[in-house]
Amino acid sequence: MRWRAGLWPVGRWWPLALHWPSVLGRARADAGSLLLAAAVVAVVTLLAGAVPPLLRATADEAVQDGVRRAGGDGDVLVEARMERDDGPNGGRVRAPRLAEDVDDFRDRATDELGPGLRAALRPPVATVISPTLKITDGSVLRTFQLAYLAKGDGADGGPQADGADDSDGGPHVTWIAGGPPRPAVPEADNHAEVPAMGKPRPVQVALSEADAEALKLRPGARIPLKDDAGNIKKVLVSGIFRPTDSTDSAWRSAPALLRPVSGADGVGSTRFAGLLSPGSLPDARLAFDQDALRRVVRFTPDPSRITWDSAQAIASKVVALKANSGSSGALDGSLKWETGLDGVLRNIRAQVGAASAQASVLLTGVLTVAVLVLLLAADLLVRRRAPALEAARQRGAALPTLAAELLLESTVVALSAAAAGLALSRAVVPGASWEWVLPVVLAAVVAGPAFGTLAAARATRDRRVPANRTARRWARHTVQLRRAALEAAVLIAAVAAFVALHQRGILPAALAPGGDVAGPGLGLGDGPLPASAPALGVVAGTLVVLRLLPAGLGLVLKRALRSRRPLAVFGTARAVATSARALPLLVLVTSAALASFALTLDATAGDGLAEGAWRTVGADARLDVVPAAAASTPALARRIAAAPGVREVVAAQVTDRARVVADSLVVGPRLVIVDASAFRRLLAATPLPDAPALARLGATGHGDVPALVRSDDGGLRSGMRLDLLRDGAPTIRLTAVGTAPAVGDAGDVVVVDAATLKAAGMPSVPNTVWAAGPGAARAVAASAVDADTVLREDVLRARRAAPLTSGLLTLAWVSAATLLALGLLGLALGAAASAPERWQTLTRLRTLGLRPRDARWIAAGELLPPVMVAAVVGPLLGVLLARLMLGSLALRLLTGQAADPALVLPWWRLGLVTVALLVAVAVVVPIESALRRRRRLSEVLRAGGG
Amino acid sequence: MSADPADRPLLTVRGVHRRFGSGPTAVHALRDVSFDLAAGTMVALIGRSGSGKTTLLNVIGGLDRPDSGTVLVDGADVTALDEDGLSRLRREKVSYVFQTFGLIPVLSAAENVGAPLRLARLPAAERERRVELLLELVGLADHAQQRPGELSGGQQQRVAIARALAASPRLLIADEPTGQLDAETGLSVMALLRGVVESEGVTALVSTHDPTMLALADRVIQINDGRLDEREAS
Ligand SMILES: Nc1ncnc2c1ncn2[C@@H]1O[C@H](COP(=O)(O)OP(=O)(O)OP(=O)(O)O)[C@@H](O)[C@H]1O
Ligand SMILES: [Mg+2]
Repeated sequence: MRWRAGLWPVGRWWPLALHWPSVLGRARADAGSLLLAAAVVAVVTLLAGAVPPLLRATADEAVQDGVRRAGGDGDVLVEARMERDDGPNGGRVRAPRLAEDVDDFRDRATDELGPGLRAALRPPVATVISPTLKITDGSVLRTFQLAYLAKGDGADGGPQADGADDSDGGPHVTWIAGGPPRPAVPEADNHAEVPAMGKPRPVQVALSEADAEALKLRPGARIPLKDDAGNIKKVLVSGIFRPTDSTDSAWRSAPALLRPVSGADGVGSTRFAGLLSPGSLPDARLAFDQDALRRVVRFTPDPSRITWDSAQAIASKVVALKANSGSSGALDGSLKWETGLDGVLRNIRAQVGAASAQASVLLTGVLTVAVLVLLLAADLLVRRRAPALEAARQRGAALPTLAAELLLESTVVALSAAAAGLALSRAVVPGASWEWVLPVVLAAVVAGPAFGTLAAARATRDRRVPANRTARRWARHTVQLRRAALEAAVLIAAVAAFVALHQRGILPAALAPGGDVAGPGLGLGDGPLPASAPALGVVAGTLVVLRLLPAGLGLVLKRALRSRRPLAVFGTARAVATSARALPLLVLVTSAALASFALTLDATAGDGLAEGAWRTVGADARLDVVPAAAASTPALARRIAAAPGVREVVAAQVTDRARVVADSLVVGPRLVIVDASAFRRLLAATPLPDAPALARLGATGHGDVPALVRSDDGGLRSGMRLDLLRDGAPTIRLTAVGTAPAVGDAGDVVVVDAATLKAAGMPSVPNTVWAAGPGAARAVAASAVDADTVLREDVLRARRAAPLTSGLLTLAWVSAATLLALGLLGLALGAAASAPERWQTLTRLRTLGLRPRDARWIAAGELLPPVMVAAVVGPLLGVLLARLMLGSLALRLLTGQAADPALVLPWWRLGLVTVALLVAVAVVVPIESALRRRRRLSEVLRAGGG
Repeated sequence: MSADPADRPLLTVRGVHRRFGSGPTAVHALRDVSFDLAAGTMVALIGRSGSGKTTLLNVIGGLDRPDSGTVLVDGADVTALDEDGLSRLRREKVSYVFQTFGLIPVLSAAENVGAPLRLARLPAAERERRVELLLELVGLADHAQQRPGELSGGQQQRVAIARALAASPRLLIADEPTGQLDAETGLSVMALLRGVVESEGVTALVSTHDPTMLALADRVIQINDGRLDEREAS
């Protein structure tokens, strides 16, 4: 043969002489089936190959997104004491070059970061900040700080005038009145020693437009200030500035420089700040005690320069810096590092870990069904080839030769399909990964040859049932034992996976809360066991169904035999016969169940996101009113309430980090002062959980103000006595009488009734407005006040669009669709596999006088029972597993909720799974019937089909 | 029709042609075949392999359509019937016995025999009675609940004969019913057919290779290369 000799030299040393004409002939005869298997391999390879690189890309995006969202929490701060300025005569010496010291300190800190961390951070901002002072006029608590800012881009510190002389390194400003602060002493007195205890030293500061307006001050004016000890400070306004870029991260170190900040120094307080220049910084130093000014360098992470890979090293470096920090009590100039960046990165890591694990759960499901479909396809192919294989055996082909021929064919098909899938994956996403593809390719390579060789071996074996009764029983027992052992193995694996999932959760151990940041790399899940729990559970459940099915169908057959419909028995009898074959039903039920699982996961996460957005915003819309406009909040609330489509509006005073003493510990909960009954009505108008305990807040009895509390860590409990600390006013005693509703995403919350609190001597100034109702978003947006508007729709949209979330939700959909498609393919393959016997029965019935249209009903009667079982049991099984396992999948990390979202059943989508399967039967039956009708009975009978 | 139904032949075949393929490779399986069959007779159809026996039986039973010619079974023109008409013909007038038995493997012997009665929508009680009777007739009353796979070849063919008789057809067509049976079993199956022709009053057209079977036939029709070549039974 030319083939063997020329084109395939391998044949010379290959011990098996392959029969090339057979190989090619077989492949050509079954090209359709082989192409089908190839298509399954290619599609699943594309999916399984694309997900890991997509996940990696998404992980990078997620890290950047997370760092961006973390805002100030991700900043790296380093602090060091300033050198002492004691003079020889017991006084203090003015240090005119203090700004340069600050720059030196900033450079030293920058050096210590090390190259890796430094590359991920923006140029630093050095700050010097004074203690908080009180503004002495006015009744409400207003505080003031002096702050010096110096950006680390090589220039000196202090405010930079736009376009003007550019010697300062502070954020750019425009002077709209006066000018930058100047030294308070003439050049000659620069190094003079001043007595430690003297009259207040003058300091010049600049105010922002907003601060100046709120304080009603002009350049040259003196700000009436004193410190905690009651010492007067002489602070003069040199000028009024407008920031060129108010989003410049430099301002983050002292936001009060830009505009008044409410609540920073206790409930009802407002903080202002004045900007120092390099010239006035030495004066500020002398105006305060030796160690009163804090010198801090702030590094803000640059999200675009942090990747998933570099995040590891960054987190470790940050942890190391913090661990080696000098103690805060140390009096030397050693650096003390402070940052939440490691925590931020750990959270993102946990999120990415959770998303990878969830993705691996979905992928495992798809791969399981794909492998089952490939087994089914191989089985079908071997059935079609059985005569040819038998003939080959009878011609004398050796089994190993046949096996090698089949293996060659399946390997070529599977590998080229997988290569096509991977190439496609590489074309549409940034890469392709082959690890997840392996099981599918392996199944595609091995299944066909294994089944084929077995069939060929069986063809030549004596296939008569043993005559001996005991021998027959033995043979039957062996088969049953083998099956039972297989089922037991799957069941044990499923239980083990379930237990592993429940005990360890889906998160890799290192990512679990409290785990180390430096964990394993980005993998899909922590070992295959927990991630395969749903797939194994579904397979185990299906095996149970398979055990019950024959008994169930037997009952149906009994009924059909007695049924008034004379034809029912034929379909049912066929169904009983086909139900003995496990693979088709296994494919149908597992695909329906896992598709339902994916849909339930998607719906649960989607609802969780919606719920999370409700909780974050607290209503359809929220207004965070700036302190300056707070007085008009009640009027604003009334205006919004009057707008069309607004159902409930509540104004409240919300203060973060209120100082509350509970069990002699100071905690910083979010304090919400609100009209309790209105708040309850608002909650009732939203899907947020009702808080009946709010009704208890109005009750005044024994002096204490009733309060509701909630706390993530149990620091605040019902029944506790709390002291609400106030600056310059008596403490208010609270009694926790119940559990507070969640207010935003704060961990600790204290809710009190506004009227009750006012009666106890603390009036409130509302700074937050919640509005619920379909028109709320529009009404709030149209209110045009000086306030931050937070719309629930926006929050929800942003969360849905977050890289990990959108990626996983998409994967859930794609998996569900792929699973359903595989299930329908399995249905078609199963129908094709049972077609010869069904057609034979129908032909025989036709010779008995069965009408062609009745033949269709009998075919439907045969195909329908297993599909009905799958259409009903599949979604039920999927939902059951979701019920058992979703809790362990840490969906909260995806939805941004405090707790895992409650299970949501997507009824109509589950119904769609059911309908799709039933419709598929309604399509398969007429197609098959049309195919059947193309041939005359005489031909079918002659061809051996009768 | 003016003729008395009793005199009328049960089967009339006139000028039947059946050709497979076209052009030079066409096979003329039947060429101008015409004959009549009287009711209540057992007729053997013999001929060499490939002579056209199966083709003729298929055309008569409506499983195949001739290119020209007509076939009348009990007055009904088989060649003019549509699919539904043919189905009714098979339910009511013509039944088949095949060389490969043609039983439905997933049904028991009794259910196989009852199948034509189900198709004819006979009430269940009547059906069961008739099935019992027929199984008795073919001597398989004890095997009623066995599946075809659990019966011997001869037993299977007996079930097939019982099934063919179930709906009381006028014409029973059997295409080499003993082809897969050993000589002794074959003879007993033929004897059974002979017996039911007598007891049930059906007309049987039986193709066979086996000359020893000819003794049981009332009449023998021989076919040679698609052409009829009749000779009377000895
Ligand atoms: N579907 C077909 N296509 C082509 N030729 C056919 C077809 N069916 C039958 N023939 C041809 O018609 C002729 C008659 O065939 P038929 O099966 O009727 O013979 P037979 O007498 O039944 O033979 P045997 O005794 O072997 O069963 C044969 O030459 C056969 O090859
Ligand atoms: Mg024949």
